[in-house]
Amino acid sequence: MRLTHYLLLGSVMLTMSVFAQNKEILYDFNEIPQSLSLNPGTEIDFKWYAGLPLLSGVSGYVGANGISVNDIFANDGVDINIKVRERALDVLKPRDEFSTTVQLEYFNGGFRSNDPSIFYSFGGYLEIDNITFWPQDYAYLIFDGNADQLNREFDLGDLKSRGSMINVIHFGINKKVDRNLTVGARGKLYSGIVDYSSTSNKGYLVNTEGQNNRIATTLDADLMLHTSGFQALDEASDSDTAAGQFVKRAFFGGDLGLGIDVGFTFHLNERTTITGSVLDLGFIYHGNDAKSYSLNGKATVEGIEIDILENFANLNRDFWQDLVDEVEALVPFETDTNSYVTFRPTKLYASIRNDFGEPVNNGSGQLDCDCTAGSSGGAELRTKYRNSIGGQLYMINRPRGPQIALTGFYTRRLGNFLALKGTYTVDKFSYTNVGLGMNLQAGPINFYVMADNLLSYKNIAAANYASFQLGMNIISWGRNK
Amino acid sequence: MKGFRILVTVIFGFLLVIACSEPQDFDQLDNLEITPTYETSVFYVKAQESLINRVSGLSFFTQDFNFDAFEEPFFAERVLSGVLSYELENTTSKPIEISLEFLDENENILDTEEFRMDAAPTSTLIRNVAYGPTGKSLDIIKNTSKIRLVATNLGDGSSTSNLTNPSIVLRSSAKFTLELK
Repeated sequence: MRLTHYLLLGSVMLTMSVFAQNKEILYDFNEIPQSLSLNPGTEIDFKWYAGLPLLSGVSGYVGANGISVNDIFANDGVDINIKVRERALDVLKPRDEFSTTVQLEYFNGGFRSNDPSIFYSFGGYLEIDNITFWPQDYAYLIFDGNADQLNREFDLGDLKSRGSMINVIHFGINKKVDRNLTVGARGKLYSGIVDYSSTSNKGYLVNTEGQNNRIATTLDADLMLHTSGFQALDEASDSDTAAGQFVKRAFFGGDLGLGIDVGFTFHLNERTTITGSVLDLGFIYHGNDAKSYSLNGKATVEGIEIDILENFANLNRDFWQDLVDEVEALVPFETDTNSYVTFRPTKLYASIRNDFGEPVNNGSGQLDCDCTAGSSGGAELRTKYRNSIGGQLYMINRPRGPQIALTGFYTRRLGNFLALKGTYTVDKFSYTNVGLGMNLQAGPINFYVMADNLLSYKNIAAANYASFQLGMNIISWGRNK
Repeated sequence: MKGFRILVTVIFGFLLVIACSEPQDFDQLDNLEITPTYETSVFYVKAQESLINRVSGLSFFTQDFNFDAFEEPFFAERVLSGVLSYELENTTSKPIEISLEFLDENENILDTEEFRMDAAPTSTLIRNVAYGPTGKSLDIIKNTSKIRLVATNLGDGSSTSNLTNPSIVLRSSAKFTLELK
């Protein structure tokens, strides 16, 4: 029953989880308060804002760079066994990933200090993340086995997977240093609900010619799976207190961690701006309900070996059980409840932007409200232009090393009530990732929606990547601007 | 809020209009077959000629060995077919007969495999025994709990081969296909 629970929870995490999604459309889209979450040094001009609870920021992403749902499940008359063979087993490599992300803000807000150059923001969000790399040699072992493959080493290091469900409470400060420079930092408190991590596995399984017998099978394993929170939730589930346990672990009754985000915006000249941020530089200490499983050691067996002369006085012993015991002693499977530390997947954003065209405030399209472009940050107002074009870099630290995405973007502002941002992104998932975002300001009400990889919408099942973000806020620029 | 609802409806309506998907058939998963074949050694038995000469009588060795590998539920419930491969090498000066009896938990004999080797010099005897649709019944394998090894000296009890370390050696490996799904 517990295994079923784990599998169910694992499936849920696989299908709707959060890993550090590249939010290239939202980044530097500073009409939207949530852009602060990607760069605490974003140049913003709000007096205050309040996110609509549970609706201020919802985002999700599903990615599998080497295969799509359509590759396997298309109703094309091809035998699924052939499709799995030709489109997965023969194609996917250990660097191919399956990752998902869901992030749900349940509150978010910000206000300008008495010192108008300082803006405070705060909030909380729930994040579920998962990333699993294609366990190539495990897949071969499961689908093909090891027969007739003498000297073929099956790499046990192909197993790399990790995921978590966390609650994050954050508080940030955004400081306009001068007319050209804005910096920001955000502190984060992580409260881990569940976590699993198996990312540093090593070893191999190989059949070689035996010294005595026909085949020698060698297992050299250094495998480790860390988990936290599953047992507590499982036990709570058995006593119908799962919801209480979930809330308890979400609000600092589980694993705890700390992290920071830092960022800046700097104007090289009147129309050219560079930005950068580092997010989730932090860790979580899993000391509450941690459980780890390990398989560590090396054993070579050639079956039951009986040298009658050597064993003459002891031939009645249980050779089979002795063999099993010997292997278990050499490669023990152990569990422990020692705490462990995981580091958050640190992300880096950078961009360069060039503004052009007429200032937003010129001409038509002005909404009759207290919303307007420009800075109320204490220094002189900086003009916003109707058009922006530029490039962005995104990097994320993953179990198999950093991954990079490059984005080109164009932003068009229609008056002070509507802004559109189009992006083209190149990364390991796609070379045809075109995204579009829209920010709408209707009086104090701000609404934004963004979607990625729009070209894949003609057959969404064939997409290797899909993501979305949407949210709603109430924004004030202050009456005395 | 009414305006917001209209806006959300329009946007998601638009996405629904432009978003298409070719028909997907997730029931295909039922047809997925996972039938790997695993291979490893099973047992190795060695009897030196000096030992054979010390034992009086024809049958110089009879022993039951517990062997639960095939009975393990993971294996027994999934095995589809397989091959047991034997390799018998005789470097002694006497002809030898080896009998392998597969016994169930109640020590009933399920099957017997017999090997007869001439005195050295003689070539290695290799035998592959199939189980499953094209061979013997898989029930033999699934129900085997013990293996009884009976070795019989069909020659004299004093001669010694000129070969180095004369002995009778039985090697074996198993190659079985399992149905994981």
